[in-house]
Amino acid sequence: MTGNGHMRVAAAVMAASFWTWAPAQAQEPIKLGFAGALSGPASFVGVEIKRGAEIAIDEINAKGGIGGRKLVLVSRDDEHNPVKTVAQYRELVEREKAVAIVGATNSASMLAVAPIVNDTLNVPVICPATDATAITENDAQKQGRDNYLFRVGMYGTGQANFMVDTMVKKFGHTKVGLLTWTGGWGVTGRGELQRRLRENGLAPVADETFDNNDTDMTPQIIKLKNAGAQSILNYALVRENTFVVQTKEKLRDNTPYVSAWGIAGPAFWKAAGAAGEGVLTSTTVTIDGPQPPERMTFVNEYRRRHNQDMDAAVFAIGAYDAVYLFKAAIERDGVEPQKIRAALENIPEFKGLVKHFTRPVFTRDRHNAVTEEDMVMTRWTNGKMLEVKFDAKGPHVEIDAQTKKYLDRSNMTLL
Amino acid sequence: MRPGARSRAAGTLAAARAALAGIRSTRMYFFFQVALSGVATGAIYGLIAVGYSLTFMTTKALNFALGMWVMLGGMLTYSLIVLHAFHPLTALPIVVSALFALGIVAERFSVMPFLRAGSDVWVMSTLAVGFLMIDLAEIVWGRSPTPVPPLLGKNPIYIGPAAVLPQQLLIVGAACVTFIALDLFYRRTLLGKAFRAVAHSGETSGLMGINTRRVQAVSYAAATALAGFAGFLVVPLTLAEPQLGTVLGLKAFAIAIIAGLAAPRGILVCGLAYGALEALISGYFYTGIRDILGFSLMIAALFLKPEGLFGKPLEERA
Repeated sequence: MTGNGHMRVAAAVMAASFWTWAPAQAQEPIKLGFAGALSGPASFVGVEIKRGAEIAIDEINAKGGIGGRKLVLVSRDDEHNPVKTVAQYRELVEREKAVAIVGATNSASMLAVAPIVNDTLNVPVICPATDATAITENDAQKQGRDNYLFRVGMYGTGQANFMVDTMVKKFGHTKVGLLTWTGGWGVTGRGELQRRLRENGLAPVADETFDNNDTDMTPQIIKLKNAGAQSILNYALVRENTFVVQTKEKLRDNTPYVSAWGIAGPAFWKAAGAAGEGVLTSTTVTIDGPQPPERMTFVNEYRRRHNQDMDAAVFAIGAYDAVYLFKAAIERDGVEPQKIRAALENIPEFKGLVKHFTRPVFTRDRHNAVTEEDMVMTRWTNGKMLEVKFDAKGPHVEIDAQTKKYLDRSNMTLL
Repeated sequence: MRPGARSRAAGTLAAARAALAGIRSTRMYFFFQVALSGVATGAIYGLIAVGYSLTFMTTKALNFALGMWVMLGGMLTYSLIVLHAFHPLTALPIVVSALFALGIVAERFSVMPFLRAGSDVWVMSTLAVGFLMIDLAEIVWGRSPTPVPPLLGKNPIYIGPAAVLPQQLLIVGAACVTFIALDLFYRRTLLGKAFRAVAHSGETSGLMGINTRRVQAVSYAAATALAGFAGFLVVPLTLAEPQLGTVLGLKAFAIAIIAGLAAPRGILVCGLAYGALEALISGYFYTGIRDILGFSLMIAALFLKPEGLFGKPLEERA
């Protein structure tokens, strides 16, 4: 009898606790984490990610949240330092109980946290910025275990393939030259470009490099020109690219110049000015030129909140999409991290700002949302990154009347 | 000028023009264009390098942060010309005198106390001032590289077929003028003679009534002012950003060592030659080995002539 009495008491206590627990659960917000550079040189990336994610979260909360629960973003400043990222990821998951994380600003940070995320933290991460291939194509992926890392931004291998294939297959160039930075990102990029050229049965006609000290690229540009390069592929950031286009302008060299997404933002035009005219830049998304309405809504909302235009739209847009992808996954299978992870691999269609995915955004074997087919080649035209279209008319950009006037005046060819 | 001399000069000019026009072959053009852009870069090195010599001669101390002072000059120039719409010719004296004043302050607090105590800590303290300036510049002006309009426009000038930017020519010219002025200063002015006296022996010059302390402070500030001048000139080429001077300062230091810290005249020659050499190495080999070859040459030069290529042997000066 006593046993039975105990059972009854226990049942009553449990019922009472359920009764008090359930409404509390309904009001408890769902926490999303972010750790990235919010101070220091790379802070512009972190700030864009945070702002993009915040806009998405506020939109969702204004419509009642997810199943009545609000979303909150818990963000940490890792100062672009992988050691801090690792500590903060633990803190976000173990103490703050974040159920999903928007990826960091530094590829090295993501490479450092990837094994921890997969082996112990088990929380899904979607990266809008970091492009090292191995972040998503990690050990867990290769061994067929559950991979918690996803990406809506560029990935290294894909970008190199895209750059080379665009010039070789779409423009028909057979003499391609390389001009890369001897810093970390440039070295990886150079290797990837060489590999893709090789896969196309080509070798670079000239393979030039430069370091942080080069403010005048005369030797490199003349060598590329003398080698008969039909186009020059490049991996570098704003500063070095500015020196390249300045030198090209000085030497009156008009070899088509193609850059990776290191200059995919207004900072390049601000530094290089009209010398940057005609530079091709690969990216995941551009907010210049004709835009779908939902992207314009986002651009305007950003402008309204921060009273400025985006420095690096790709990252803000990627973070915005990451939040909506988490929402789609949570609505599908619930709010547990493992279930969100599994659900992300089963989103059949997604209307994002990066693009409208009419195929599954991620699959078990493919954790990069943006593939080579989705990447966009843009042309710097009067300060805007306009998408290059490849159709019956051949490669071209659609320009408005005002830009056309500018182009006629400066007497520049389209490519 | 007599008519004969004038026609002879015109003849020489015509001959030079004909020679330049002869640089048609790709090979000759390549050499000439690459060397020319190298010389332009070398002039920047030379201009900064002479600052090391200025300070070293009088105090036997070096301002290791000279590159950061160049940056400060460049950022101030950017601030005045771009942000506050000053005319470049108004901005120049402001930048140079501001850096002179800051140099006096920096010397007073980061060098003099240690020199007086006979300590070598100035090695670290000058650098500390430099890093402080970089961090401050990042806070004040931000990190993103921003252009500053060149003084004489952007259209390249052609020497024969080879293109050179007006700003690059301006720097070469300014470097030459600076070195001539410095030479005259050392030989013709009282303060210049005092500099040389203190360089030779601080103690003796003190006994002869030279205010050694003031000469040391002025030489330090003159070096930072010169760095400011260099910053003013190079910022249109390097973009305004807090790291613009760091590597330049390092290269300039190498030049000052190769030429000899006590040989200001040799520094210009070495700077121009080193710049050309660097560019030619990039041009004929590849950029990756440029610094390896450049710095190996520096070690070799020092091995053969420890006092620097243009320095006087140590025994003579002792």
